[in-house]
Amino acid sequence: MQKKTKLQRFVWIDIMITLMTLEIMQYFYYGIRAVVLSGICVAVSVIAEIISIRMMKRKFTADDLMCVSDALIISLMMPAVMNFRIAGIACVFAVVVAKNVFGGRKNMIFSPSASAYVFMLTSWKSQLLMFTTPHTHTGISEKAVNLVSSASHTFNTSGKMNFTDFEIIMGNVTGASGAVSILLLAVSAVILILRRDISAGAFTGTIAGTVIPAYFAPMCDSRYDSIKYSLVANMVLFASIYIISDKRIAPKRSYYAFFYGFFIALTAYIVTMTTAKENVIVIMSLLFTPISLGFKSLEKHIENLKKEEAKAFE
Amino acid sequence: MSKKNSVFDGLFGDNTVLSSLMVISPVIMCGDKVKNALALIYAFSAITFISVLIGSFVPKKLPYAVKITIYAFISSLVYIPVKLMAQQFFPTVINRTGIYFMLLAVNSLIMVQTETKFYRMKKSRMFFSLIFYILGFDVVMLITSVLRELIAYGTVYEKVVDADILISGIGMPFGGFVFLGLFCGLYRKIRFIVRQRNGGKKNVSGN
Repeated sequence: MQKKTKLQRFVWIDIMITLMTLEIMQYFYYGIRAVVLSGICVAVSVIAEIISIRMMKRKFTADDLMCVSDALIISLMMPAVMNFRIAGIACVFAVVVAKNVFGGRKNMIFSPSASAYVFMLTSWKSQLLMFTTPHTHTGISEKAVNLVSSASHTFNTSGKMNFTDFEIIMGNVTGASGAVSILLLAVSAVILILRRDISAGAFTGTIAGTVIPAYFAPMCDSRYDSIKYSLVANMVLFASIYIISDKRIAPKRSYYAFFYGFFIALTAYIVTMTTAKENVIVIMSLLFTPISLGFKSLEKHIENLKKEEAKAFE
Repeated sequence: MSKKNSVFDGLFGDNTVLSSLMVISPVIMCGDKVKNALALIYAFSAITFISVLIGSFVPKKLPYAVKITIYAFISSLVYIPVKLMAQQFFPTVINRTGIYFMLLAVNSLIMVQTETKFYRMKKSRMFFSLIFYILGFDVVMLITSVLRELIAYGTVYEKVVDADILISGIGMPFGGFVFLGLFCGLYRKIRFIVRQRNGGKKNVSGN
């Protein structure tokens, strides 16, 4: 039990390290406002977590610090110029409604960050999907000007991205500040998979579920470009690491996790291709929660059957 | 006053929506604006009150399935004049509420609670109890719609209020689920505290 508790904390530390690197990149491209936004998200999440845990008559432990990584994930999915109050409300929603109402971190049904993102998408779509261009440093209390659509929106509607491969890899493209740094995300994915902090099955399933349809039903003229842009646009890589492969949500066995990720990505690709909506993968990850719960229930059923068989054999 | 015997139970102790989770679909789907809420409150109150009163004259010896069919028939008949009146008072709202307006004709108070609760009481007691059960729905519907309209659209009865930040998701069905869920939790907590203070059972269900 002690070992398991420690492991959860180590998972949190590893995820936090990778998120902090994205945070630094965010600071580089968008200035201090992006960091303040993340700070507000973290502060609000921790306060909401402490209050709701006290209301449930439980103690706040180090394991409950997962709310900090969830808050950082939420802040990295927002534009750097997002209204602070909206960010705060989204974080409260993630902690209270998406997590603690269902019993807290041990009874997770929905990904808190995905729930918060979908909540923002339904309530403040225009603020959430309009961005400043990279290297535009907005002051903390300044009002954002010259907002533009994301590179994902351009890709979804025209099948093109007006950025070089180097710019895409470095995250020098318009979009959610943390979700576009492709090189960092790729490195983070490798580290987290090797350290078993995220579900490798769900991650590979998501990538496969994006690459395969992008090859057979390309969204642009070239199959190579279709695969490349499908992976880097619409938060696919970011969501596949921090939301879909979240071990709290994804099925435990890699085999089931693979298909869980695969179907999310496949559905998201089809919806993106047919409707040109942005970041559908985050919405799909939320809608596919029953599948994950179904897989988990199946896993338990199989384990019970194995135990019964072992007992009968004895 | 004993908790079990109170005629006011329908309003607080055993609220139709918050305690029994009955008739929640109109509250979630149409309870996003006060105008919608008023139309549904009118329809629910009129249909339920008249139907249950008329239904109380149905012979108790009839088989259960037959009685339920008769209750549905009575409420469907009551629905016709109620809808005609609603078209006069709330012409724009009726179309907006869609099927949820019609579904009120076969709501749980008429179909379920009649046999399990109301028709087991004396007529006079049933009359007052029914009023408070209907009021229980009305109050929840009204509070929900006022708060959701305020939070989602920044208006109350379509009058603009100086709301600083709007959460339009609360006006959507999923927002209705979230809002009603939190409302239910709050209600059960308050009921638990009240019952404890009144020296009631300590292990109240749902707490």
